[in-house]
Amino acid sequence: MPVDTFQLLHLLTAALLGLPFAGFLVLVLASRRVSGVLAILLTTTGLALSVLLALKLPEQGVSIQANWATLSGISFPIRFSVDALAVLMLVVVHFVALLVQIYSISYLHDEPKLSRYFAYLQLFIGAMLGIVLAGNLLVMYAFWELVGLASYLLIGFYTERPAASKAAQKAFLMNRVGDIGFLIGIFLTYYYYGTLDLVLLTAKGGTVVIPTALGLCLFMGCVGKSAQFPLLTWLPDAMEGPTPVSALLHAATMVAAGIFLLARIHPLLSPDALMVIALVGTITTVWGGFSALFQTDIKKVLAFSTVSQLGLMVAAMGTGHVQGAMFHLLTHACFKAGLFLSAGAVIHAVHTQDMRLMGGLRRSLPTTFLAYTACAAALVGLPFFSGFLSKETILNGAFSWAGEHDNFLTYIVPVSLLLSSALTALYMARQWRLIFFGQYRNELIPASQAHEPDWLMRGPVVLLAIFSVGFWFSINPLSAHGSWFFRVFPLMEEITFWWMAPLSIGLVLVGGWLGFQMQDPRPDSSVVQLSLRYGFLDFFYQYLVIKPTIRLASLLNRTDHRVVDGLVDGFGVSVVVLAHIIRVVDKLGLDGFVNRIAWLVGRLGRLTRSVQNGRIQSYITAAVVGLLVVLWWIL
Amino acid sequence: MILSLLIFLPLLGSLVVALLPDNQGATFRWIALLITLADVALAAVTYVSFDTTLAGYQLVEQVNWITLPLGGLGVASIDYLVGIDGISMPLVVLSAVVMLVGVVASWQLTHRLKAYYALYLLLTGTIMGCFVALDFFLFFLFFEFMLLPMYFLIGLWGGARREYASIKFFLYTLLGSLLILLVMISLYLSVMDPVSTAVLAGLINNPAEATADVIRSVQTYLQNGQLNPGQIVHTFDMRYLADGGNYLPGAFLNPAAEPIILGLPARLLAFWVIFIGFAIKLPIVPVHTWLPDAHVEASTPVSVVLAGVLLKIGGYGFLRIVWDFFPDGAAEYAKILAGLGVLSIVYGGLNALAQSDIKKMIAYSSVSHMGFVLLGVASLTAEGVNGAIYQMVSHGVLSAMLFLIAGVLYDRTHDRRIDSYRGLMQPMPQYTVLTAIAFFASLGLPGFSGFVGELFTLMGGFQSAWLPGWLTALATTGILLAAAYFLWTLQRMFFGPYWSRHEATTVLNDLTFREKILLIPLGAMALGLGLFPNLIFNLSGATVAQWLVKFAVE
Repeated sequence: MPVDTFQLLHLLTAALLGLPFAGFLVLVLASRRVSGVLAILLTTTGLALSVLLALKLPEQGVSIQANWATLSGISFPIRFSVDALAVLMLVVVHFVALLVQIYSISYLHDEPKLSRYFAYLQLFIGAMLGIVLAGNLLVMYAFWELVGLASYLLIGFYTERPAASKAAQKAFLMNRVGDIGFLIGIFLTYYYYGTLDLVLLTAKGGTVVIPTALGLCLFMGCVGKSAQFPLLTWLPDAMEGPTPVSALLHAATMVAAGIFLLARIHPLLSPDALMVIALVGTITTVWGGFSALFQTDIKKVLAFSTVSQLGLMVAAMGTGHVQGAMFHLLTHACFKAGLFLSAGAVIHAVHTQDMRLMGGLRRSLPTTFLAYTACAAALVGLPFFSGFLSKETILNGAFSWAGEHDNFLTYIVPVSLLLSSALTALYMARQWRLIFFGQYRNELIPASQAHEPDWLMRGPVVLLAIFSVGFWFSINPLSAHGSWFFRVFPLMEEITFWWMAPLSIGLVLVGGWLGFQMQDPRPDSSVVQLSLRYGFLDFFYQYLVIKPTIRLASLLNRTDHRVVDGLVDGFGVSVVVLAHIIRVVDKLGLDGFVNRIAWLVGRLGRLTRSVQNGRIQSYITAAVVGLLVVLWWIL
Repeated sequence: MILSLLIFLPLLGSLVVALLPDNQGATFRWIALLITLADVALAAVTYVSFDTTLAGYQLVEQVNWITLPLGGLGVASIDYLVGIDGISMPLVVLSAVVMLVGVVASWQLTHRLKAYYALYLLLTGTIMGCFVALDFFLFFLFFEFMLLPMYFLIGLWGGARREYASIKFFLYTLLGSLLILLVMISLYLSVMDPVSTAVLAGLINNPAEATADVIRSVQTYLQNGQLNPGQIVHTFDMRYLADGGNYLPGAFLNPAAEPIILGLPARLLAFWVIFIGFAIKLPIVPVHTWLPDAHVEASTPVSVVLAGVLLKIGGYGFLRIVWDFFPDGAAEYAKILAGLGVLSIVYGGLNALAQSDIKKMIAYSSVSHMGFVLLGVASLTAEGVNGAIYQMVSHGVLSAMLFLIAGVLYDRTHDRRIDSYRGLMQPMPQYTVLTAIAFFASLGLPGFSGFVGELFTLMGGFQSAWLPGWLTALATTGILLAAAYFLWTLQRMFFGPYWSRHEATTVLNDLTFREKILLIPLGAMALGLGLFPNLIFNLSGATVAQWLVKFAVE
């Protein structure tokens, strides 16, 4: 390959990364009218560059490196690299971000801080691209934290709303818990391997014994960002941000970062670590699915479905099927963004997020209804839709993984994943029914006011719905085997159980039928409460983590004030008291002593005065005696 | 010459201010501004001319000050000796900048200007002196003279409980100096100056002939008892104090012949004594309680100087004196020392979480952040020690910014309580943005300097052969706590609907021009250092590599 093409590719990579950050700086200062157009222009350019990069990408990839820190000869470089996986993510991130921004122009047209909104979105995109392009773990961590910052700014975008800023704070802190694990993992990696470079680590990963703790620490990062059990409660709260942000956050940025991290560090994960990861993913899938079951907020159902689907991807990683997980990440990005943007259209139409106040909207919002249906079909995994393909791949992989283990308990993982797909169908069908079927139930806003949004909003929704169809990913609607995806990212092994497709389709149909028919139990029943409060996880945090920490903090503060400082003050006071005592002693004792001596001297003086009687011979006698005494003393 | 200028220009300025008539208010300000600006320029020149490849001292100036033959007790010698290396260079630049910031932040001060600026300039000169002095006696002199102006600056221009705070500060630091003095004298009695001794013993004719071989042979003579006691020149020269070969056989602090005191070898006892002396300054839990009081009561510029520069003298003392003169103690107690660092990190962080006064919150966050310095130094790794130096500079910039931010609010309402404000973003959007930047930079957001310092001190902790992994892992909770107390403060004070306890009486105006020209450059510096950490590491790298040789693990 000629040199100038390489230079061009390096330039492309740098430009891809630089654009959104430059955009952030410009948009912070831009006027609100041009901001949307500017942001879309930037992201369109980014998308075009990503596609160009995808087409021109040489087999060995592209890598740019710069020196960042050198500590007494030990250097920590910054490296960005592009490989097939990165290119895939580049396209997905730009594509979803572009649609979200187009949608936002209409959705947030009354927002006074619009330019700042687009600036934060650019920061979000830039930080995510940094993770995608990171060539070493340190760079990845840096952008990882920037994603945290961007999500903080966007979730808390409505700063005057206390709930929003609280949700933002919760997201950041909960993520930071995971990040600390990630950071320790990075330190351990550096300790064991002496490098943080992902290429070198991948090469070394297979050759040495890998400490399980290392892998689990790194996985902590994923637990935070991808909202895995037990750090999942920030994600539903993150709904406080503007709805398009939710679409971006749940589809292509932020939560995808954790999955991507696992794909990158997969060689560093020991078999035990992978087992834990598979279990955590499975728990998350079930936990999220169950929590979605009785939510009344339209966005919260989707939020928990994201949790559940992320669990599925993590479990796929744990069972060793990186490609399957990444495939699901790709399909999920499209249909979940579609679902959130459709939900936004519904909220836009009825001015509420409470599904109990909706109903029958398929008549007034036909386009949204169709798009929603397509995306939901993909989510539950109906044949001919994209989600079916990726989910089947994961389930097949999980069952063959369990088959490789001697312990039959490992079947818990694939069986739970399979059953939770029925759960997914159940809550999605319930939501579908509550929004689009039955009677319209809101008395404050008449149904006639509900209308479809303009095409700036409808366009992205329709486009994402179209991409939820399986055809784009595989010609064969019932199998992903011929998919272009697996030509680029070949599967290690391709086992397809003949019973898998019929079984999972059957489960989905049963779940869906139940969800469409069933009536919710009473809201105060324990099962509804358990689902609504997602297993009381937040109560656990509130009473077992946050409150004790604050109590400990104030206890330490009192200790600091009374005991530590008290000792110091006590010491000071006792010195002063001692000084007073000494003063008294001085006055009575020492001073008395001195006075006594003075008195004695006085008496002596009187005594000697009698000697000074003026007679010269007495003086001479005294002088001679004195001299003799002195001489005697000296000699 | 340039280092002496750094010290004596402010001292001269202090004298000029003191001699001028009382009513020259504005003149004092301008004199102080010009002199601190000149110091920044001098520091910049030093920075540019600094050779980063050299490990040893540069720009050394030596003038014989006191030489006193003591008959059989040898010869006493004290030099005016200054120089810099990779450890002091970053701190000199930091000090110059922070002192300038302090002058601008004092601009609206109205009463007792003459005394204020005379003391302020005295402080500036003595701080510079501390960082460049290479004679222990000279260092101690500057160290003591720094205390005096600081005492008055807190005690005369502070808040309601300023007298309590300043006395507390004074006594604490005086205790520290006392401990340092004790060890200093013991060191002095235990160490010879090989060059002057060689001259006196007739081995060479003048100091210029002293090659490494000559020094080695003098040291051999010393160890074999072949030197006449009357010919041994005692010294405070730090370069000689750091060399184990210069310790007199049988001397109090000789590593080989150690008397036992209180069940501890004298050297190890001396290590603890001098460690505590400097730990008070850093400060390290549990000798930190002067700091919250001093900070809360001090006026904004004095807080800025206190946090920005004065604390760094503790860390500097660790590197230059405690660890370098007592490598055996530092290695022996590495675990305990790092443990104290971790204790400071966690304890400071938890205390910060519990504060209801924003200035006190920042003060405790300082305790937490300075704990990273001790952890980094105690790790005895290139990552940790370079990281500790970096952390000192980073904290200098960020704490200056944080205290200025607290000052902005205090200037307007004289109320520092967090729960007196809500939704400040509405009346003060620019202030909110800069506060958010300072908070995020302090809680270790990558891209800003706070991240780099914490990253490398922690990495040093994990890399260290001396420390168990769990100890450093515990320290990482400090990062979580920092995020918690900063974000919580941000959320409580700045977000939500606007409300203030002083709504009726005070209009909260956004930042003034003067506040902006302080905060924006400091924020830019934190960003610049975070993106280009080699600005510091290039300076410190060579010296730290040399410094670590003593601690090499076979």
